[in-house]
Amino acid sequence: MFRPRVIPVLLLKGQSLVKTISFKNERYIGDPINAVKIFNDLEADELVFLDILATKERRTVSLQFVQDVGAEANMPFAVGGGIRTLEDVRKIISAGAEKVVINSFAVEFPEFIQQASRNFGSSTITVCMDVKNALFKGPRIWKFSGNRSSRYSPIDFARIMEDKGAGELILQSITNDGQMQGYDIPLIKEISEAVSIPVVALGGAGTLEHFKHAYTEGFASAVGAGSFFVYQGSKRGVLINYPQRSEIINCFQ
Amino acid sequence: MWSQRVYQQCTYCVMDTTDPEIVFDEKGQCHHCRSYQQKVHKLTYQGKASDHDFKLLTEQVKIDGKTASYDCVIGVSGGVDSSYTCYLAKRLGLRPLAVHMDNGWNSREAVKNIKTICNSLEIDYVSHVLNWEEFKDLQLAFLKASIVEMEIPTDVAIQYALHKVAAENGVKYILSGGNMAGEAILPRTWFYYPKDSKLLKSIHRKYGTKKISTYPTFDYLDEIYYKFIKGIRILYPLNYVPYSKPDAMKTLEEKLGWVKYGGVHHESMFTRIVLSYLQPTKFQVDYRKCTLSAQICNGIISRKEALAQLENLSYDPDKIQEEKAYVAKKFGLSLAEFEKILSLPPKSYRDYPNNEKLLDFLYSTYRRFWGDERSYHNAGYDSSS
Repeated sequence: MFRPRVIPVLLLKGQSLVKTISFKNERYIGDPINAVKIFNDLEADELVFLDILATKERRTVSLQFVQDVGAEANMPFAVGGGIRTLEDVRKIISAGAEKVVINSFAVEFPEFIQQASRNFGSSTITVCMDVKNALFKGPRIWKFSGNRSSRYSPIDFARIMEDKGAGELILQSITNDGQMQGYDIPLIKEISEAVSIPVVALGGAGTLEHFKHAYTEGFASAVGAGSFFVYQGSKRGVLINYPQRSEIINCFQ
Repeated sequence: MWSQRVYQQCTYCVMDTTDPEIVFDEKGQCHHCRSYQQKVHKLTYQGKASDHDFKLLTEQVKIDGKTASYDCVIGVSGGVDSSYTCYLAKRLGLRPLAVHMDNGWNSREAVKNIKTICNSLEIDYVSHVLNWEEFKDLQLAFLKASIVEMEIPTDVAIQYALHKVAAENGVKYILSGGNMAGEAILPRTWFYYPKDSKLLKSIHRKYGTKKISTYPTFDYLDEIYYKFIKGIRILYPLNYVPYSKPDAMKTLEEKLGWVKYGGVHHESMFTRIVLSYLQPTKFQVDYRKCTLSAQICNGIISRKEALAQLENLSYDPDKIQEEKAYVAKKFGLSLAEFEKILSLPPKSYRDYPNNEKLLDFLYSTYRRFWGDERSYHNAGYDSSS
């Protein structure tokens, strides 16, 4: 039976795992390799790693890191951070990642998505769209870890990316990030209905119910979260966790 | 390192001459289990007297914590002792706050059990996460120092996290899962005070490569501060109830859906390899002997059963290579580099600058004047997490 994939999305800052709230207030979560090991043992569907400093520091996510994750993870994983050339993509894929995630450079140079998907196949290319309201303009796509807005509305950008051959979209609400109050369902619904490629909902999940909403009301093909998988309880103590298979199946029924 | 002695094993428990200071009487019984029978036994569950004491103590915890959100903190590791302490605390109507010190070695079982305990018992949870890059450097320094006390950096951080969280939340009691029933036997030569910050610093100075800026300290001065200024006490509830690990595991499994581990302290992948492999193979220190001996004294198992268990290797020979490879990789070493560190000749903490004399004096003085024997717990050894 089909069920949406449930994906921990983990943020890297240097060699550290961090978690943000609305892309701010980074909190140290621990060693990423230990987290991968635990997610692997708990049989997570898939993992996504985003290096939130790479673009700013004009580098790509560490290949050593990608290799280390690959050695520990039996599930497919995607990696993003500062990817700007076909060579970057090639290196990351050959280091063991299933997919690359492109964010800022897709906004700056949409043609790159076309080049990349032609070279490596659509299924390898995921575009992460960070969405937040821009002053007087309504929802826009942001780049550079949510620091700069662009002229694209989410729906325009999603269609362009599909057109250029992106295999999957990660649709992230900057406003809802880390709030654990639920996804931006109208946004997810709008994009899921506008494109035929898979849309991964991200930003705001705090309970299994939220996953269900993204699927049944927003028509997301997969659900991603950060805080949900790294925090325990209302005081948000750090505790890497992943629901049991039975919990996930029940959740989407 | 140790003077050579002819091998001898106690005729009552399973302690042996791998403790170089062990003393046998004419019947071949060792000083560990003799002292257990004479003194320590009184510190475990004593029927009605313990029930009464425990009731008074629980009431006191409730009264002292009336105005705060929590009346006690409990260090949780996902292991049996700390999980059962949570279960007990809730059953007694206490309002605990669970604290976990995350040193980067959590196993799947650890995180699952902590989650299960906190959710099913409705206990709030906070964590103290050590900076892995720093802690890695410190742990590696201790491995290179080649002493049996490889877990000192972890033990220190646990004490710090518990006291800090207690103080921040205005809580006066730390409930520890430490218990005489399972841990009363522990040779001095197998375990040195973790609260010797001079030893920690001297080892890091010699073998460390990074500057330590966020790793916490917890030494006797901190202990004095928290005990006498902040008025925080450590209680050992498991000493007031009939406690047996196997029974406790069964209760937790049945009532809360808790998961069993392969062995003692296997909630941390580092502790697992230290206890099951590094200490037994390199130092002939096998903690199973302590646990089994205490359990023999307690009537939980027979000596025959204990000996049968010791027939098995302390580690799983099929998995040890894989475990070593993971540990090496996590330290950023090749397996060959890691093996090389492991094969360094064994040393003693006495080979490094330390505060032993001062601490011996302080702890023995403290015990003489304030010593509540039940709260005295293996010269500072604490397995609350």
